[in-house]
Amino acid sequence: MSVLAVDGLRAYYRTSALGVSRDVRAVDGISFTVEAGEIYGLAGESSSGKTTLIKTIAAATQPPLEVVAGTITFNFPTGPIEMQRADRRSLAPIRWRHLSYIMQGSMSVLNPVRRIRHAFVDFAFRHIGQPKSQFFDTVRAHLARLRLEPDVLDAYPHQLSGGMRQRVTIALATVCRPEFIIADEPTTALDVVVQKDVLAMIREIQRELGSSILFVTHDMAVHANLADRLGIMYGGRLVEEGRTADLFRSPRHPYTAHLIASLPRVGDTAPKAGLSGAPPNLADPPAGCRFHPRCPRASEICRREVPPLEPLATGHRVACFHPEPA
Amino acid sequence: MRSFLALLKSNRQFASGVVLLALVAAFACLSFFSPYPPNDSFVVAPDVPPSAEYWFGTTSRGQELFWLLTFAIRNTLVFGIVVAVLSRLLALLVGLVAGYAGGWIDRLLMSINDTFIVIPLFPILVLFYFVLKDHMSWGLLALMMACLGWSYDARLIRSVALSLRHREFTETGIFSGMSTRQILVEEHLPYVLPIVFSTTMNNINWSIGLEVTLSVLGFTDINTPTIGVMIYWANQHTALVAGIWWWIFFPVLLVVMTFIGLFLLAVSMNEYIDPRSRLGRSER
Repeated sequence: MSVLAVDGLRAYYRTSALGVSRDVRAVDGISFTVEAGEIYGLAGESSSGKTTLIKTIAAATQPPLEVVAGTITFNFPTGPIEMQRADRRSLAPIRWRHLSYIMQGSMSVLNPVRRIRHAFVDFAFRHIGQPKSQFFDTVRAHLARLRLEPDVLDAYPHQLSGGMRQRVTIALATVCRPEFIIADEPTTALDVVVQKDVLAMIREIQRELGSSILFVTHDMAVHANLADRLGIMYGGRLVEEGRTADLFRSPRHPYTAHLIASLPRVGDTAPKAGLSGAPPNLADPPAGCRFHPRCPRASEICRREVPPLEPLATGHRVACFHPEPA
Repeated sequence: MRSFLALLKSNRQFASGVVLLALVAAFACLSFFSPYPPNDSFVVAPDVPPSAEYWFGTTSRGQELFWLLTFAIRNTLVFGIVVAVLSRLLALLVGLVAGYAGGWIDRLLMSINDTFIVIPLFPILVLFYFVLKDHMSWGLLALMMACLGWSYDARLIRSVALSLRHREFTETGIFSGMSTRQILVEEHLPYVLPIVFSTTMNNINWSIGLEVTLSVLGFTDINTPTIGVMIYWANQHTALVAGIWWWIFFPVLLVVMTFIGLFLLAVSMNEYIDPRSRLGRSER
């Protein structure tokens, strides 16, 4: 059974000012599953709805963002839970213990005026169910796993390097050994060398804990290194999903194809062709396929109808009426 | 404690502030050893200039200025601290809640806050005196000034809380299931404390200044000795015209020392409390 099943999810930013109501359809009909022990990568450009999607999945929505339709079901050992209608009380035992979250810009997850140990106490202590002394033993052991000295606990965040801070936030999110970790661009602020270390460490921790990770970034290189399966988002919808290797080798959706083609390769000196146009305005998206104004393969049907996300091969789903040949 | 001593050595502003305030506080503590109760008059010969017997001289009402002044400065300091603490609590509560909650709570609290900012304080306090007359007491005045003195700080704290609201550590806190109270007290309060500490000093200065002004004009309880009340009585006895300069000089000297001490602390305190700037200094 999948750890996470998202079905037909729609989450809109609903605002009404001066009598004019406006829906920004940041997540519009998304379905996918994440299996146990899997790293699922979510890719897409800025404003494609990645962060909105994972906020909704984590039940960290705040007005004006609301779930309009669809279900998000987590299957934890303690039983299934439907996030879109879970309240504070039913979420409390899940959080951090089973589901943790590495926030976007995780460099500032740590409060600059408090020592690291307070961050562990504030965020993780109440979920781990151990007395204080034992808790800190667990934390120290866990920090060692991430190759951090135990004395970082007594440091302030500004005394640590960027990579160390990043490892501390990963330690924070994984110290309770959660089954599911949501990571929102955890390596974006790091340079490639540190990034490589941190990614290796995430992979290591994930293997050890057997957790599933939903990993979000716009950096395709990171996905290529880390993700088992990859979902590509465009304009609030999932346009393609498949095993990472398959996706990189033979992308079927024209958007994915352009995305992959745009990546630099060693020895390739040909100029890269860019797509004209801009990402759709999600308050007033184009009818039919949201990619059609920029799509070189678009036809009449693309302007009228929304292409369904359907399997083209085993484990490879594409939402396109005219997919690229395999 | 070690960093306090280090600061005392390295920061001259802080050191002079601490020394001035320590002198004033020590002087206030002497009131517990006073041979006379503060309100007894004609216990010594009146109008004696400062001498070996009476260090600060005596007043026209036959009180020894030195011992009277110990009571006065004690009451004035306690007054300032009470006003500052009460108004800080109000300011923190309003500022943190308004900044964190946002929406209509923020608008409601800030409209109350802005009302207090535009209210002219001095006429209000004088008005209260005329309404209350003999019921006017030291504690009541402190309470009133605390209720009038929190609004600027609440706005300041709110502006910081607004930005904290959207920091990742707040969102992580919410996600990990911390209650609103825990987030405000454990995550946001330490962040705004340096600001609050430095404004506390300014607030003590402000409340002492206003209390002295009101007292000098006789708009307070004139039977509790404070610095202002002493000057009031000196004026009543036309001390300056009669040449009893010491009756005005020593209270003014003491209150000026307090002001300067608090000001120096306020400017240097920030550096001491903020761990980032403290670290920057120790590494230099």
